[in-house]
Amino acid sequence: MAPVLEVEELKKKYGSLEALKGISFKVEEGEIFGLIGPNGAGKTTTLRIISTLLTPSDGRVTFLGFDLKKNPEKFREKISYLPEEAGAYRNMKGIDYLNFMARFYASNESEARLFVERAIGISGLGERLKDKAGTYSKGMTRKLLLARALMTKPALAILDEPTSGLDVINSLEVREMIKGFTKEGVSVLLSSHNMLEVEFLSDRVALIDRGVILDSGTPRALKEKYQADNLEIVFRRAVQ
Amino acid sequence: MKNFSHLLIKEIKELLNKQLIISLVFILLIFNFIGNITRTEMKKAMAKQKIAVLDLDRSEISRNIIGALNLARFIIEEKTGDKEKVVAEVRNSNLDLLVVIPAGFGQLASSFQPAEVETYSFLKGISISGRTKSEMVKALLTSTNEYLSNEFLKKKIPDLDPTLLKAPIKSREFVVVRDKQAEGSTGLVIGALTAQNFILPIILLYIVIWSTQMVITAIAMEKQNKTLETLLTVPISRGSIVAAKMLSSGLVGLLVAGIYMLGFRNFFSFSNEDISSALGGATPILKQLGLTISTQGYVLFGMSLFLTILCALALATVLGVLAEDYRTAQSLSMPIVFIVMVPYFISLFADLYTMSLPAKILVLAIPFSHPFFAMQNIMFGHLNLLWFGIVYNFLFVVIMLWWTARIFSTDRVLTMKLKWRKKKVVL
Repeated sequence: MAPVLEVEELKKKYGSLEALKGISFKVEEGEIFGLIGPNGAGKTTTLRIISTLLTPSDGRVTFLGFDLKKNPEKFREKISYLPEEAGAYRNMKGIDYLNFMARFYASNESEARLFVERAIGISGLGERLKDKAGTYSKGMTRKLLLARALMTKPALAILDEPTSGLDVINSLEVREMIKGFTKEGVSVLLSSHNMLEVEFLSDRVALIDRGVILDSGTPRALKEKYQADNLEIVFRRAVQ
Repeated sequence: MKNFSHLLIKEIKELLNKQLIISLVFILLIFNFIGNITRTEMKKAMAKQKIAVLDLDRSEISRNIIGALNLARFIIEEKTGDKEKVVAEVRNSNLDLLVVIPAGFGQLASSFQPAEVETYSFLKGISISGRTKSEMVKALLTSTNEYLSNEFLKKKIPDLDPTLLKAPIKSREFVVVRDKQAEGSTGLVIGALTAQNFILPIILLYIVIWSTQMVITAIAMEKQNKTLETLLTVPISRGSIVAAKMLSSGLVGLLVAGIYMLGFRNFFSFSNEDISSALGGATPILKQLGLTISTQGYVLFGMSLFLTILCALALATVLGVLAEDYRTAQSLSMPIVFIVMVPYFISLFADLYTMSLPAKILVLAIPFSHPFFAMQNIMFGHLNLLWFGIVYNFLFVVIMLWWTARIFSTDRVLTMKLKWRKKKVVL
């Protein structure tokens, strides 16, 4: 089976700074693929390129057979991106925000309603969806945005630090939401500097540092290869 | 198209928030309140007013003056007694004007020797009626002087018209505009044109300032609330995002300008009858001189205005990308406010056509200048200048839209920032 996403020799330069030095990886259907690495490793840049926010300096990104440079609109139709520091429109009620976003993806009203109903279930925010997003806590906003990202059942959900800034309980809930959704055929590409989180969530991971992928594989295979108990130690040994 | 209208509605809803609606209602109420107070004061000034008169002369001439004051919408409260005591009495009363006709006034006036009438204005505040009362008394005394001198001349030279003697040279004024001429004064024509068009620069100023501030703020708020990245990844073209932001700001800008104008109209009690009375007898002269706007003229003015709004919105969109938050957005909108002030003040206080060439080029290089002078250009036949403005603004809009679309379709929409310390744009 062809991979959902294929990244080949992807490079990105900001002036003289080389943020990505030619990274390659693939994401299979229904798989959670994790990019792990420290701050500034190039994780967010990679995700932003795939979600069409940034243009690559070189390399090739193919999604469901479409080339990123030629068909960015095809990427936007089938990909949902959750940025690390995303917010919702403060003056909009949670439910209105979901309605607003659903209409971009739905081909008709009934499909939009279906998306919103699904989002209501994913978010678990209940009656609070009738309140303005400006009154939400960070955890509630994150759940709302995650529901927005997953409600359309995208072919690929790109989640940048999905539990960033959340407390333990909220983080656990968000992780369970993500894990549950891949059972419905959604592929997930996520990034995190929390390696234990990625280990829990991901089917396969890539270790990224200073714009280069050091190694990739299933968490179990990597732990065996580097004779480590967890991915934090794997990463440290890979860097060394 | 479906996604565009969906986004446009959201943008309009975001802009027309509770705060804006409350502030607009507040503005309307304030203008209405101030306008009502001004109107009441004006009515008071125009109504019959009470003044005190102390006639120490009691001659025929002094009685005639009091009679004339009576006819000139004054209610006379006659005082008697010592002048100093009357002054003190009026000072402590609710009256604020005292006219004193001294003893011997009639004799001096009838023998054409200097005769004086004293007026005492008791200032108890800055009101319109306080000023108009003393002005009316002054005007009355001027016409009494005129009457007395005419009577004297009639007696001395019965065969001669006294008015001819005092003003032997008569003048006839003609105003010429291009190949048309009409009898009338330049002051009357310019006054009428000013009365007709004074509201226009204010409307232009508000439309440009409000629209630009809205675009800059809308984009900056997307950045501040961290919603821009998500919006840029939904299935809608970048061009539609830019167009929705610009169109919604333009529409709300027009609405805000309209509400401001409604407020101004209440404030100035501005109505069609007022325009007619301000124009006075100038309307036929303006028609004779061709200083009226045809349908074609209004279409050209509309084109100039529309392109100017687009220029402002396009420029504001680029500035909005540079803004990181609401605070920066406010700072970035200031240059546009200052730039639009230049043609505004020039249109009010200077003549573009008589300015030096470098100054004229500088003014015409500002895209917002052209509609400020468009009406004048149409009326006085400077159509080359008008068309230059339209073409110039069209090119400006095309270049700015191209640049904006480029910015939105590249990384710059997220990476372009204004670094205040280094004072340069970092990409």
